[in-house]
Order: sequence, then C-alpha cells, then structure tokens
Amino acid sequence: MNSLLEQFLSEARDFLQGIGEKLMQLESDPTSNELMVELFRFVHTLKGNSGLFDFPEMTRVLHASEDLMDAVRNGRVNYSQKLADQLLDAMDFVGMLMDEIEATEKISNKHAAPAAELTKALRNLLTASEAGSESSEIDDILNEITQTQVAENSIDWESLPTLNLPEDIAEQLHAHSLRGDSVFWVEYTPEADSFFKGEDPFYLIRQVPDTEWRNVVLNSTVENLAEMDVFNSVASYQVLTHAPAEELEDLFRYIPDEHRRIEIPALAFVKPSGNTDEHAVDEDFIANVFALFDKDETEEVTRTINTMLELSAPDLWSSSALRWVLRLIEREPENKAAQRALLESLRTLQSPDWSELKPVEVIATIAPPVRNAVVSTSNGSNGVVDEKMQYFNEVINAQREILNLSGFNEGRLKSVGASLIGCYKSIGRSQDVDSLELAIKNSLVENSQDLLLKWLDHSLENAPELVVAEKIAAPVNNLAMQNDVKFGRRAEDAAGRKADEPNAVTASKTLKVDQEKIDRLMNLIGEMVVAKNALPYLAARAETVFGVRDLSREIKAQYAVINRVAEEMQDTIMQVRMLPVSFIFQRFPRMVRDISRKLGKEVDLVLEGESTEADKNIIEALSDPLIHIVRNSLDHGLEQPDVRIAAGKNGTGKLLIRASQESDRVLIEIIDDGKGINPEVIKHKAYEKGLIDEATMERISDQDAVNLVFAAGFSTADVISDLSGRGVGMDVVRSAVEKVNGTVGIESEVGKGTRLYLSLPLSMAVTNVMIIQSNKQIFGVPMDMVVETVRVPRVHIQSIKQKQTTVLRGRIVPLLPLNDLLASNMPQLPNENDEFATLIVRVHGEHVGILVDDFRETVDIILKPMTGILGGLGGYSGAALLGDGSVLMVLNPRELM
Amino acid sequence: MAIEFKKSLAVFTEFVSVEEAETLLEWLLKNPKGKINLADCTHIHASSLQVLMAFKPTIVHEPQDADLAIWLKAALAS
Amino acid sequence: MKHILVIDDAATVRLYHRGILENAGYSVDEAINGIEALEKALVKPYDLFIVDVNMPKLDGYGFLKEFRRQDDALQSPAIMVTTEASGSDKQLGYMSGANLYITKPIKPNELVNYARLLLGETL
Repeated sequence: MNSLLEQFLSEARDFLQGIGEKLMQLESDPTSNELMVELFRFVHTLKGNSGLFDFPEMTRVLHASEDLMDAVRNGRVNYSQKLADQLLDAMDFVGMLMDEIEATEKISNKHAAPAAELTKALRNLLTASEAGSESSEIDDILNEITQTQVAENSIDWESLPTLNLPEDIAEQLHAHSLRGDSVFWVEYTPEADSFFKGEDPFYLIRQVPDTEWRNVVLNSTVENLAEMDVFNSVASYQVLTHAPAEELEDLFRYIPDEHRRIEIPALAFVKPSGNTDEHAVDEDFIANVFALFDKDETEEVTRTINTMLELSAPDLWSSSALRWVLRLIEREPENKAAQRALLESLRTLQSPDWSELKPVEVIATIAPPVRNAVVSTSNGSNGVVDEKMQYFNEVINAQREILNLSGFNEGRLKSVGASLIGCYKSIGRSQDVDSLELAIKNSLVENSQDLLLKWLDHSLENAPELVVAEKIAAPVNNLAMQNDVKFGRRAEDAAGRKADEPNAVTASKTLKVDQEKIDRLMNLIGEMVVAKNALPYLAARAETVFGVRDLSREIKAQYAVINRVAEEMQDTIMQVRMLPVSFIFQRFPRMVRDISRKLGKEVDLVLEGESTEADKNIIEALSDPLIHIVRNSLDHGLEQPDVRIAAGKNGTGKLLIRASQESDRVLIEIIDDGKGINPEVIKHKAYEKGLIDEATMERISDQDAVNLVFAAGFSTADVISDLSGRGVGMDVVRSAVEKVNGTVGIESEVGKGTRLYLSLPLSMAVTNVMIIQSNKQIFGVPMDMVVETVRVPRVHIQSIKQKQTTVLRGRIVPLLPLNDLLASNMPQLPNENDEFATLIVRVHGEHVGILVDDFRETVDIILKPMTGILGGLGGYSGAALLGDGSVLMVLNPRELM
Repeated sequence: MAIEFKKSLAVFTEFVSVEEAETLLEWLLKNPKGKINLADCTHIHASSLQVLMAFKPTIVHEPQDADLAIWLKAALAS
Repeated sequence: MKHILVIDDAATVRLYHRGILENAGYSVDEAINGIEALEKALVKPYDLFIVDVNMPKLDGYGFLKEFRRQDDALQSPAIMVTTEASGSDKQLGYMSGANLYITKPIKPNELVNYARLLLGETL
C-alpha cells in the first residue's frame, strides 16, 4: 500500500469519527449552524480525498452526502433524525469500503448496487425536501452534456429498439425527453455464468433509478422444463429510464459489455397504438383538419380533434393518434412537420416513419470512460507541443479573464504578471519578457490593468502560433501514474511488516496515541522491570535471613514467570515505539538534490534498508548527526564533476546511505565514492591545531589519523562553506551518537571514497548493566561497553611509562584502577588469590582494562539521565533505581578516561 | 427459507435468494399447477425469476412491492 | 529550487500534492488553513501556491484576498484547486487573487505542467 493510500485511510477514519460525533452533537443541538457547517466540511473534504483514488462507489455516496449536507447547511433541507440515520448509514458503508480497501486495496464490484441504493436514498431526502425542484449540480451538468451530445449526434433510427409502449408510459417519457431529461433504453443481457460470480442481474436492473418501463425476456425457450439449468442466466432485461447518464454509467460500470444503452429521441415515443380494425375517422374529417392546420388555426384544429375524440372509442388506433397530435401541438408547437406526419398517419393507420421526417437529431450511446489509457509521453512529437500550447492557452486565458475583472488590485496584478512571465518563459518566448515586464510596471504605475491586458492581446494577435483553438483534450486517466510517484516509504514498510502476520491484514487498524501515553507506559514498564528485580533479593532474604528455603524457591519460580511477562510487555511497548529509519531517510533525496545543485556537483543517492527500525528516541537522535554527515560527504567527500572525470571516475558521484540491523543494534553506513580522506593532511591539520604532538604525528597509523576527524575542534574544510564546517565538525556527530550509546567509525581510502558508520542500540529504554564494586560502593557499567571480565594476577601487571598494563591474548591493554579514575586514593582490592577484577571495556575502538574490587550480577535497569547539580558531573551516564530500592550510579567509561 | 412450500401453494417472503431456485424448480415440476403467493416478497433472485418465467404459474397474490409487481407482470406476460 | 506552498486542510490532499511536486523537483511546504498559510507566506517567499477553497478558520478565498493585499510580499501565482465547479466560485477565485482555477482531483501530470508553466520552466 502506498503511503498516500495509507494516509487517506487514516485521515478518512478520523473524518468518519468526526462526522459521527457531529451528528450526535446535532441530535442534542439540531439548530446549531456551526455544527452543520463543520459537518459539511468533513463530508466535503472526505469526498475530495476519495476523489484522488479510483473508488467510485465511495465517492458517489460521499458526493450525495455532501450535496445533502450542503442543502442542510444552507437551510434548504431541514435536519431530521431520518436524515441523520441516513447519513450514518452512508458513513458506515464508507467505513466498510475502507476496511475492504485496507485489506485488498480495492473495492469489489458487489458494492456497486448498495452504493447506488444509498446514493438514491440520500438524493431522495434532498429532492423530497426541495419539492423536487432542484436537482444536483452534477445532474444539471450531465444533462447539459447529454443534450449537447443530442444536438451534435445524428439519430440512427435503425439502431433504435422497437418500442411498443402503453400510451400513458410513452406519453410520460415523451414529456421527459422534451423537458431535457435524456431517456435511455437500457438492455442488459448478463453472461450465462453470472450467477456463479455472485451476481443477481435482476437485482442490478432493479437498481436503475427513474425507470418508467420494464421488460424481461428469456433468450431461449426452455423446451424441456425438467432439464432447465437454474444456474444459467438466460434472460435479457430491458428498461426505459430518464436517470442521469452518470448514474447508469456507474451502475453498469463493471459490465460494460453486457449492457447496451441507447438514448431515445422524443419522437420515437410518438407511436399511436390501439385497435386498427375500425376506421373511426373518415377522409372528410381528415381533409377538414388539414385545411385548418394549413391555415395555422391551431385552436380550431384542437377543438375539432377533441370533438372527434369524444365521438370515438378511446381504444382505437386513430384515437391514440389524435391524442398524440394534441400532445404535439401542446408540447412541440413549432414542429409542424411532425404534427402533419401524424395527421397523415390517420389515413394509413401506420405510425409515421420519423426517420424520414427530419435530418436526424439524436443518439448518444455514451462510451464507457476510457480507463487506464496510456499516458502520451511521445518524445518531442507534435502531440507534446500541442499539449504544451494547450496548457499555455488555458493559463493565458485565465489571466485574461482576471485582467477583465473590474477593480484594480495591485497584488492581483502582480500575480498575473508573474504568471504571464512564467508562461512566456516556459514556452521559450523569453524575448517577450522584457516588454511584458515593462507593461506590468506601467500598469502598476498607472493603477490600471488595461495596459497589461492590451499587451497580452497585442502579443497574442501578433503570434497566432500561440493560440490554440480547442480546449485541452480531456487529460488521460493516469491514476496509475500515482504509483510511480515516490511517496515516503513508511507505508511500504508497514505493509511489509504486516505481511509477516497473516491475520493482521484486516484486523490491524491504525490507532493514534499520544506520545505522552506511550512514554508513560514506557516508564511504567521500566518500574515494573525494576520492581520485578526485587524478587531475587526477596528470595535471597527468605533463605539467608529467615531460613525458609522452600519459600525462596517458590519466589524464584514466580520471579521467572513475572520476568517472562515483563520482558514480553517490554518488547511489545518497544515495538510500538519503533520507527523505520525511512523516517529520516526520506528527507535525503531532496536535501541531496538541493545541496548538490548548490555545489554544482552531480550525485546519485542510493538509500538502502529504509525499513530497518529502531526506537523513536534513537531515530530522532540520529537525525541531526546523519544530516551533518551527509552534508559533509557532499561538501568534502564528493568532488566536482570535472575533477571526478579527470580522476577517471564517473562524473556523477555516488552516495549510499544504508541501514541494517545487527543483532540488537542498528548499523547505518554512509558511503561515498569521493576523494577520501588523506591521513597526511589530517595529521598535519591536527598537529597545527595542537591536537597531537610531533611524536604522535610521526608514529600515528593512517587509520588513527583518519579517526582524528572526530577529535574536538577539528574541521577539515579548506574553505568554510555555509553547508558544513561552521566550526562544528565530526566531534559533534560523535558526541551526539554517543549520547544514545552509539558508536561512530570511519574508513577511508584516498581517491576511492569514505565509509562512515554509526552503530546504535535498537532501543535505549532498558539498559543491561553489570554491577561492580569498588571502594565499598557499587556502580553500574553498561554491558554493551564491556568486552569481557578477567581476573588479572598482580604479577601480570607491568608498568610502562608509569602506566599499568597487562598483556591479554598477545595485546597490550592499559589498566586503569577505577578508584584513580574517580579520584579516590584507595588502592583496588585484589581477591584472595591476589588477582584484580578487571573489566575490559571498549573505548573509541581501543580495549582498556578498568580495575575494580569485584564483579557482581548484571541487571536490567531504566537509565535516567542525571539532572540538576549532578547533571554536570562527568563520568556518569545516569542513575537507576535497583530492586532493593538503592540507587545505582552508572559509569560512562568514555568520559572517565 | 424465503419460500414456504405447501401442497399446491408456494409462499414467497422477502428476499428469495439464488439457493432457492433449484427447490422451486423441483416443486414446480412436481406440482405443475402449483400457485404462487408473492404478497410479502420484496425480491426474487434472477435464477428463480427465470424459473417462474419458464413455468408461468398462476400468481395468487401480487407483490405489495410495486416495482417488483410491475417487473413480474412484464416477466409473466409474454 | 522553487518553493511551493500547498494549502489544504486534508492531509491526504497535501500528501498527494507534495508527492507530485517533490517528485517534480520542487521544495514543498504545507499549511492546513488560510491562517497558517498567511503566517508562512509572510515570512518566506514562495514561488507558487496551491490553494484549497474550503478550509476551517480562513478559506482559500480569504487567504488569497489577504495575501494579495500585502505590499511587500512576493506576489507569486496561485492555483486554486477545488471541488466546487460552478462558475461563480471561479469568478470569486479570480477576484480573490487566484491565477488558475482547477477542479479536483487534479492529475499528477496536469499539476506538474501547470506548475512548470507558471514557474517559467519548460514543460
């Protein structure tokens, strides 16, 4: 599911909720205009949103709801309980459609009929209250359209179905047709297997609104009733309706091949019917009427015919014809030819052949809308040029219309000027822009838009090539193109996650929760984790203090259960807080484009592993450092295209940002194929800035030199640009990353490129720490820093340059007594074998041994940063509450050294 | 079931679905003079409608649903 | 890079427009009603506005009317995108200061073409 659809569903649910609430509020305050206006806006916006997608059923129902609410808002329709119920029904239906979209990303055709029914019900409320006077705007427009088509198209009388209608129905349809309601003959012949598709053709045809005449026939006579296959559809259904073409289109939109729709011209209904055995009217009468008719004595004609009708049996064919003559005189007084033809038919008792009468009038079988037509993207062909000019013309015409508005408005004029300049530039007529600008200026000085209007008219007159007569051809439906538009990736990520849980597809609904609540939950689970940690203490006390061993064992068993549940809870809450890194990554395409353009560099950005997730806090903490790194890469890493080409590389640089998960950490790499970092340059810079001494500069390894970029106050930019290098460097990145227990590293090869990597914990909420004892106090050390714990015999400790070291697996490890680090003079206490408990920690990639008095257990704690006076205390990353209620200070070895 | 079959009368109520077509066919084969009461019927699935059209049984009560009544008149007229 | 302000109370529509315009290489900011749009447009010059009509607090007409009165603001073109289709609304849109009046939903390529045209870029 793309993120747009996801956004739509999420927002639509909010609107549905809002609509429901407003309706409830209206119940207690049914006259509140404010509520109605808001209600209208909700429905209106929801309809607008649904229009972005191809969900006609939903849009149709919402459209009808909107029209209804518009009428309510404007006081044309009164708010009523019934209306509220109907709207709620409609919203329930929309909600159901949304469930289906969420599950399948489409709406199945089985909803077409219910949608039409709902629409009808909503429209009925509208027309009932409005005394049927006003139909909706859309209908008006549609009627206009069909009428234009009537005028433009010629009638193919031969293709019209033979109609044998009762006169009363024919008469009504004739009236409808003359009133401008197109009357359609719809024939629906379902496919034989349509029952198996769950369709009920009879139900569908009954949904056709405004039906005046219905018929159904079996297409094949059933010869042997016993062998009739009830599951085979063999009927054809026919109706005559004056429903708007759009509604019919919608109703049959899934079966365009199975139905025929023909617009019936008014005259086609003029077809006398009845008993032809008797001649009720003789030639004298006919001649008499014709004489009056030719003298245009219409009133006399009418009177004579009425007299004749009174004398004749009404069921005669001739009576029917006379009644039609009267109707035509009344309804189409100008259509003498038709009236004459009808009078003429009294002699033959044959209906007039209307096809001979007039040079055609009607026939509009409206083709179903073209769906998924191919978007024309021909390369520079005339089609594109024409299209361009059509857009140009449309915008120019709009500006002209605006300039023709009365009243001078400076801002408006300026905006028209800007629009015109844009248009002329866009089509490559920059030569006109100077005079255009002058005209704008003069118009502004003279406070008159006429000057600009004159310029525009003059310009168009002298450049006929700029004028395209036709309107823009209906733009092809390219909703499909949406899929190509790259929206944020979170939605795909979410969908990907869902795929793992088969049941989640329909069940899962987005729930918006205040972040505060999640944080509160997080704190609570933190306390729970701590509280649960009290149980082992309790067990120990039960055994040692009270001497009840069995109780101790039971407590431990209970602890195991609580522990498991707590961990699961913790995991779940973590999941809630997880965000994909795409949250940050999605900014990069634009940022990289912006910056690279500014720098005149060409960069190909590749993002990988956007679905990798981490705790919200981590993701947020990652944002700034990552932006800084990317800027650095663009600024200092990647070279100008000419430099790259000279170096034998592709002129377009490559920047890869990749996220991946490695056990409980997220690894983020930023890799460019730029010029790399020259260790020599770094060494000299560092030396110049006094970060290293001469001796260090001589012996430092290349890798260590590169790592110097992370040293405080180091900035490599030759020129301080406004992009990066504002006095802050990679040291800021490092400290930001370390703040969330992350690490950062860099690898670089001169001329080849640079790889920067950040490793961050998936979550920062619960920290696993090892408790150590030193100088009669206990401290915590984050386990993720602890490489191993060893006991180093005193004899293995050597002093090199007054620093204690030992050799561990062939590697010299400096040893630092914790008491020294904490500025206490107490010596570390060895155990009975004269071994020192040593914590090997990793600090900036180096292994360092910290001598302590003893190791204790490891615990999960909720690390709270130190605040207040303690906040300024270096060397600690925070404090935590232990199960027994005591406070544990957690060391930050990096800062200690 | 939306069709209640009596000895020589089938009473349709409310919405007669596709599942009832076969039973209706069998009943009409067994009771060629069977009559139909449609008074309380609101809709008949196209499958059952076709069966009625093929047999043209006597309708003892037209549907109260006006639209359905018109349809049935047209269906059984020819 | 050209900056476009998309003004619409519907997040879906904003996302839709943003997606299309960003994909076309524009920088896009969003405002959820006329008031927020004014706040943004008065501190940052935008090259184009995409304006919805019906919004709470201050609608599209109101926003344009007010914005077009600002002497020192950059009076860039505005495309009014709306579901209302009657002529009087269009008139009102033009009166208020819209430069183009389009009925929703606007197709991606249409929106991009109008933007390119109004921004003086080749189609």
